Amino acid sequence: MDTWQILHIPDNPPIAPDQQPTVDAIASLIDPKFANTLVRRLNQISPLENLRHVKRVKKKFVEGVYLTGKTQLSVILCLASENGNQLESMQNDVQELMNSYKLSPFITKVCKYAALSKEEWEEQCKLWPTSYHPPTYNIDGITGFSEEDSQSVFRFMKYAIQLAKSSDNLVVNAAVIVDPSVKQVITTACDQTCSSYSPTNKITLETSCCEKLEAFISHSDSDGVLNHQTVHSNSFPDKSKQLCTGVSCLYPWQWADQQSDMSSCYWHPLRHAAIVAIESSAARDRYLFPSLGKIQDKSFEMDNMQSSSAGSPAKRQKTNSTNVHSDDNLTNGEGSSSLSARPYLCTGFDMYLVWEPCIMCAMALVHQRIRRIFFAFPNPDAGALGSVHRLQGETSLNHHYAVFRVLVPQQILSREG
Amino acid sequence: MSSLGEEYPDDTLTFMLLAIEQAKVAMDCLEVPVGCVIVEDGKVIASGRNRTTETRNATRHAEMEAIDTLLEQWREKRLSQSEVAKIFSKCKLYVTCEPCIMCAAALSFIGIKEVFYGCGNDKFGGCGSILSLHSSSSEPLISGGAPRGEGFKCNGGIMASEAVSLFRSFYEQGNPNAPKPHRPLAQQATQ
Repeated sequence: MDTWQILHIPDNPPIAPDQQPTVDAIASLIDPKFANTLVRRLNQISPLENLRHVKRVKKKFVEGVYLTGKTQLSVILCLASENGNQLESMQNDVQELMNSYKLSPFITKVCKYAALSKEEWEEQCKLWPTSYHPPTYNIDGITGFSEEDSQSVFRFMKYAIQLAKSSDNLVVNAAVIVDPSVKQVITTACDQTCSSYSPTNKITLETSCCEKLEAFISHSDSDGVLNHQTVHSNSFPDKSKQLCTGVSCLYPWQWADQQSDMSSCYWHPLRHAAIVAIESSAARDRYLFPSLGKIQDKSFEMDNMQSSSAGSPAKRQKTNSTNVHSDDNLTNGEGSSSLSARPYLCTGFDMYLVWEPCIMCAMALVHQRIRRIFFAFPNPDAGALGSVHRLQGETSLNHHYAVFRVLVPQQILSREG
Repeated sequence: MSSLGEEYPDDTLTFMLLAIEQAKVAMDCLEVPVGCVIVEDGKVIASGRNRTTETRNATRHAEMEAIDTLLEQWREKRLSQSEVAKIFSKCKLYVTCEPCIMCAAALSFIGIKEVFYGCGNDKFGGCGSILSLHSSSSEPLISGGAPRGEGFKCNGGIMASEAVSLFRSFYEQGNPNAPKPHRPLAQQATQ
């Protein structure tokens, strides 16, 4: 493959819109002249707590004889209980309302979850009307990237790949947090699960790395999201004997199996690149906006920022010499941003990761309110954004990011890092 | 997952009380009140509480704090990875609220033995509510695959009402430290 490309990884694996899960509700036809009163009362005594997307009232135009017609209204009284006797399990005040307006209840199906696409929504409304608020369509990029934005995405991904190669000569995962509004790097980090690596392990691990590549090929075929072209960019070129076994998110359980004596090195089983980057961006926030939080000891903040980048001394140099963005952005950015509004956590920021994150990192990025995630290589055994889990599609979460895979031209990967 | 009413060892409530003490410390610091203790061989070896507001790092949950405390201690003692893994495999965690998806994954990665929690976490729970990261994967591995953890035993509903009432009083009092009106709501989400 020799061109860059950005693919949106949707919230849901493709499933037929008519297969959406439903729940039973008790509804009744009502006289339109009581509609307002009834709806107001029902919203008080029987709110549809976890079904906010479901409309209370269904309107249906019924054709009458002799070309007349009328609008028929039905209203949801309450959810049906899961077992047995529906009417007896109804709340007393709903029952009373039903009796006083002489309603005759029936059971109807309503869709359990809010529609995530227009197709799903249209299908939902055939059962019972729902409202449709595309949660992520206001995130730039889902409907496509402008040429300028694409170029910017490619530059930041290239930067992340350079970081992944430059850290301790071992291929690790790298994370770059970017403020896309000013195209400025907020922070960078590499895996710190194991800051140096024993050469004795290399041969056997290399074999498993090759197996991994094959596994990915078969996996991607069945996945439907990725096509065969992407196989070429699945891993770094192996001529330099670089190994992807250092990538924490690919092998999150592996840290415990280290045989070598690592007592003199820094290691931590949970310091995956994304986690370290979040920590570093939080430290930056406390440093730039000290007055807005609790008053804190500034020297402590500085220490934290230092230590978060101590794992790879080459990183700083890289930041300064890279062509990813102009030096103006780097130097002005830090100074001027203290004047701008302080963002809440990472709201509005993008995360570039070389590998698809594991479930721990993916959830950490939800907590920290990242807006978009771009990754280059899938993580077939532990990936949480489409491979094993699909966290962007968990509707119960309070924050949702958009996820993109960036296909990287082979020449970028072969170039000596 | 075990449910309420099951017989637990006598010390379960003792340790959960200590976790609740930690949650109260968090509350006094205007943090979402979640606390935990980690126990090895019947002895508390670490405790932690939520620090997301103070650090402005929404990943600093009680569990992550306690785990980091231990790793720091063991680093000073120069323990090897296999020694650390061996100790974690004997440890039990007592936490006032079901670990979130991130923490449940972290607990699986470090190879904890068993988790006891108070109230469930119906928005973010990683031990049964939203995902079940504590149960070892039953999916067949693709071509040899990466080694996976064995999962960990999980027991919910221990002193759940105490944990819930802490949350309730936290959200009733609001968060006077919040820079924006929506912050208490957003923070509510973090555990």
